[in-house]
Amino acid sequence: MLVLKRNWLSEVATVLAFPLTFFLTFGLGMKGYIQDIEGVPYAIFVVPGLISMTTILAAFDDGAWGMWFHRIVQKTIEEYRVNPITVTDIIIGKIISGFSSGLLKGVSVGIALLLLTGFQFTLTHLLVYLLFIFLGCITFSCLGSLCGTLVDKPENLGRIEAVVIMPMIFMAGLFFPLSAYPDSVLSYIKAVPTTALFDGARIALLSGGVDMVYLGMLIVSAVISFILAVRVFEKKMHG
Amino acid sequence: MTMTTENEIELRHVTKAYGNLVAVRDVSLAVPKGMVFGLLGPNGAGKTTLVNMLTTLLKPTSGSASVGGYDVVREAAKIRSLIGVVPQENNLDRYLTARENLILHAKMHRMSPPSYHRRIDELLSLMGLVERQKDFPNKFSTGMQRRLVVARALVHDPQILFLDEPTTGLDPQAKRAIWDYFLSLKGKRTLFLTTHNMEEADFLCDQISIIDNGTPIASGTSSQVKEMVENSWFYEIEVAGKVKEYVQAFQKMPFIECVSHQDGVIQVCLKKEGSLGALVEQIDLKDLKKINSRQPSLEDVFLKLTGRRIRQ
Repeated sequence: MLVLKRNWLSEVATVLAFPLTFFLTFGLGMKGYIQDIEGVPYAIFVVPGLISMTTILAAFDDGAWGMWFHRIVQKTIEEYRVNPITVTDIIIGKIISGFSSGLLKGVSVGIALLLLTGFQFTLTHLLVYLLFIFLGCITFSCLGSLCGTLVDKPENLGRIEAVVIMPMIFMAGLFFPLSAYPDSVLSYIKAVPTTALFDGARIALLSGGVDMVYLGMLIVSAVISFILAVRVFEKKMHG
Repeated sequence: MTMTTENEIELRHVTKAYGNLVAVRDVSLAVPKGMVFGLLGPNGAGKTTLVNMLTTLLKPTSGSASVGGYDVVREAAKIRSLIGVVPQENNLDRYLTARENLILHAKMHRMSPPSYHRRIDELLSLMGLVERQKDFPNKFSTGMQRRLVVARALVHDPQILFLDEPTTGLDPQAKRAIWDYFLSLKGKRTLFLTTHNMEEADFLCDQISIIDNGTPIASGTSSQVKEMVENSWFYEIEVAGKVKEYVQAFQKMPFIECVSHQDGVIQVCLKKEGSLGALVEQIDLKDLKKINSRQPSLEDVFLKLTGRRIRQ
């Protein structure tokens, strides 16, 4: 947190650039060419997804690159391990770091996008939306930490992000409704945890509805990824 | 070697293997409280593996070890609150300032802010880093980073210090200051030092163990270890060129126990004192620049026992 606090301005500027570019391109640039989706203007339709995307990407990046950097480059994990803290403390600390980073960056982007669109929402909608974001953030911080624990080569971390994480985000209906998918594909898409996050969070923010299936999927994903991240790190550290 | 409860560090038939590769083989040793113990050996001898097991980073494949009376496998957490570690690499957090690195370490040892600030001020002063305490370690020279790593290991005033090549990369002045500090801890703290610097081992250590290929090959005080070569006579021969040819020729002579060369100077140890004349006869007088007799060093002990130099 000390490092994040010290670099907050550059961090915020960096984190805003990516979703704002998407918003300007798709939300504003193409809104004249795209009809309202399920009664929602396209510019508003993409906002919850852009916030969710920022949050989970930041959580994943912090978890993965933070762990990798401390383990392989700085070797500070070794320094932590000769101090009176446990290996479990270390991995939980890393997961909290990813979670906090994701959440703070998501909030920054959220404020910017909501100011840009003038989107009105109720507090209840926001709270339910945040519940989805929390769970997504935990899941991706854990997955990031897991990748940072297992992957030694930095190019492989980049590949995981490009080949697994980004497709999971874009397939999950960030820029279009899931109803655009053919029925034969839809059931597979709905089984992906990012779909539960993006679609569930959007429903929560725009209508205040809670899709219990999505919520259950996210809780299970968060629990499984947490257990995996902790167990794998413990196993790796204890040899 | 005596195993007693007064021993701060004990290893009993410890082996560490990675598949077929045995890094440490059946090592037993004991370090009494307040002693400076030196583990000497070339790179890859198993020194760091041994330290990693004693600092609870690695588990032995077989055998047992204890530090401060606690078992390294079952009571690792207790050991970690007793020890300070200077690892071989300068594993500092480059996103934290020098002082913040020390504060983070103090917090992991649950020290209170007044006590850690006082202690950090002392250590920064000792290491000559007061002016640079707000700078990030990646802006430091290797020597300064090393001093900061040593300071970090001392923040919580550990009962037992593990020092893995602690003065590598330091200039002579800084090295001497750190040696003097380590000497001031003698009797009050237990120091376990690994090094391939013979001078460092000779200067600091009460007890020495020389390790090669994961196995100790000699142990005792510095003078006891050197007695292992008391029946050998050491000479340094400087010749004009043809160093390798002379080394090869000397290796074939029955009265020569070991030969090596470094920086153009041939080092030989003779089995008999009177063999020098026979050796000189082998050298073309036009090539001979200088012959010196010298006292045996720990390096000579290693050379005699293994046929290799520690720093090759």
